Amino acid sequence: MIGDAHVLVRALRDPASVGMLENSQWPELISIARAESLIGSLAHRLADVRVPDKVRAVLQDAIEAHDLARRQALWEADCARRALANYPGKTVLMKGTAYVAANLSAGVGRSIGDLDIMVARDDLPVVESALLDAGWEWVKPDPYDDRYYREHMHELPPLIHRERDRMIDVHHTILPLTARPTPDADAILDSAVEQDSGLHVMAPADMLLHSIAHMFADGDLAGGLRNLWDINLLVRQFAEADEGFWTELEERAKIHDLVPEMERALRLAARLYHTPVHKYRSGKARFVDYLYVRRLLARDGYGRETRKAIRLAFYIRSHWLRMPPLMLARHLWTKWRKGGKPTK
Amino acid sequence: MRNMHRILLKIGPASFRIVSAWREPLDQLEALYAKYPAPADGIVDFTVRLEAGRPWRRYIRPSVHISGDFWLPDAAPLPLAQGLLAAEMGMNLQMALGWRRHLLLHASSVEKNGKAMVMTGLSGSGKSTLSAMLAEKGWRFMGDEFALLDLTSGSLVPFPRLISLKNQAIAAMEELVPNDRFGPEMKGTPKGDIRHLVPPKAAIDRMGDPARPALLLFPRFGHDPELRPMGQAEIFIRLTQASTNYVALGEAGFRALTGFVDQVPARAMDYQSIEQAEELIESLWSQLP
Amino acid sequence: MTQKYRAAPKDDLIWHELDSMTLLFHRPSGITHMLADPAPAILEVMADAALSASEIVARLEAGFDFESGGDTGNIVDARLAELADLGLVARVLD
Repeated sequence: MIGDAHVLVRALRDPASVGMLENSQWPELISIARAESLIGSLAHRLADVRVPDKVRAVLQDAIEAHDLARRQALWEADCARRALANYPGKTVLMKGTAYVAANLSAGVGRSIGDLDIMVARDDLPVVESALLDAGWEWVKPDPYDDRYYREHMHELPPLIHRERDRMIDVHHTILPLTARPTPDADAILDSAVEQDSGLHVMAPADMLLHSIAHMFADGDLAGGLRNLWDINLLVRQFAEADEGFWTELEERAKIHDLVPEMERALRLAARLYHTPVHKYRSGKARFVDYLYVRRLLARDGYGRETRKAIRLAFYIRSHWLRMPPLMLARHLWTKWRKGGKPTK
Repeated sequence: MRNMHRILLKIGPASFRIVSAWREPLDQLEALYAKYPAPADGIVDFTVRLEAGRPWRRYIRPSVHISGDFWLPDAAPLPLAQGLLAAEMGMNLQMALGWRRHLLLHASSVEKNGKAMVMTGLSGSGKSTLSAMLAEKGWRFMGDEFALLDLTSGSLVPFPRLISLKNQAIAAMEELVPNDRFGPEMKGTPKGDIRHLVPPKAAIDRMGDPARPALLLFPRFGHDPELRPMGQAEIFIRLTQASTNYVALGEAGFRALTGFVDQVPARAMDYQSIEQAEELIESLWSQLP
Repeated sequence: MTQKYRAAPKDDLIWHELDSMTLLFHRPSGITHMLADPAPAILEVMADAALSASEIVARLEAGFDFESGGDTGNIVDARLAELADLGLVARVLD
């Protein structure tokens, strides 16, 4: 059985398909797109398709909201650039901010939350103190969380700017230190590409692999349709621009220990978004692909998550991937003792 | 998709699909919004969801979780008896977080002779009660929660949802208004006692008619009656604080709000009774150009 | 090397006068700033040139009602630091 989110996947893949929607199906598509943080992408995809006027108004709202998000993301990046003006190392923009800074199609209409940057691990103290000097502050001064982040995570505890109220996540690699795949952070920094601003973005293959790693290892596949849409657009744009891209991708996937993840992501993208993928890079279809597809499409026409069992299975799996079992137990125990609930 | 009840509502320029695990709140909404036009084509701007937090909570001590297209992660649930309030809060939330076609001010507004008066202030200022009162005394009610400012023309667009009466205002309005315009009284909600009131018929019939903002009031209840002029800088700051989407609208919001501050005379108004407020307002209104 | 400053490009800024303050909407950030004197005057005299603090002081004293030799220099230094933190002026090296 195909989940209701299929209506969104189809609209993104084939904008003309919305011509067949009944009026009553539009609110369903809109609710699903909003729930999956894909309303901005959808609005841009449907820009040249005939839709009812009231739908056009909703889509136009989304386009304008995401224009502003894009502007603010670039401004946050610029604020970080100014704060780190005296830092000699590379500051690499990540995720959505990188897509808009590099003018990639994956950035068009994409929702962007916090600013994510990556710097060399040894430089974290310098970068941290420069950001603190420039008005960022710790979000939660909790010594346990703080230690947890510093020892096990791939980023500093989150910082928030005291005046602009915007968060920054400073990473030193692309996956938690406890996660099984161990990407080569130095290689990513070495080949990062400088922008006119002086900030960097990852080289194409690394950028795609980060998007893939993020989708599978850093969460319970929540937001997976959006991640996979990023992956679809990155693949299309990079493969078209450079015929050596597929070779490069395979080499980098080996370096970063992400070959199975890359193969699965390419298979899922091809399956849902009809991404043209290189057949030797996407591996053989597996049964688990079917579960992934069901999980990705698990949302009903009211925008609610469905198939709780599959969601839970993925949640447990994702925690397992990130933290070895004993460490997980210790983490949960500490959370419970403090009376809080375990957090993702 | 099964097991959910739903209705569609249109209030001023915004339309909603409200889906609920229970029929009761929707029956109440349907009765209270009976005179409002339904969104004819079934296409809406927002979906609001009223759901049980846990499956058994649909039946045992049912509690209503409010969510929808736009939602807050930490919104506390309400008991089912307050489901109507939950639906109204859900619609407010969609407007506050998602509406971009007007500058939204957390304010009440009323109109007379094509000119509108906007009242804004903290909760407890009496802005909602004042608008409900004036609506029974010759003014057209435009809204008690959000004032919608057109981004280019600067005119005020009605958003006359149900009037949400709190605590003492309930009894005061019960003296003025026939019983069939009231919803059920909800005791002990997070905001105190609440009773919804259907706006007068003229407010609903004319919910597509905008008006030119002519006066901005900052009412404050419980002080000796007084009208005070205010500086533009203070007015501007207080309006940015009263707007849920000023920042989200970017340049368009800046232009709309500066235009409003330039053109609309403003006063702070202290008062201790509705009668005092009415007198002060009439005196100001008669001096307007 | 002198520390010089350059104001944000004119097209990035929308000015609006209120009775006692000046509003400045900064397009790239979407942030509304409320400026008190003499910050608007400082941005105005900077135009689109890269200027040192003392050059800015000279322009202010020539064009506005600032007393020569007063503590204009200190005031300008302090405002420039604030404007730089807000991203409304950039520090440039000459």
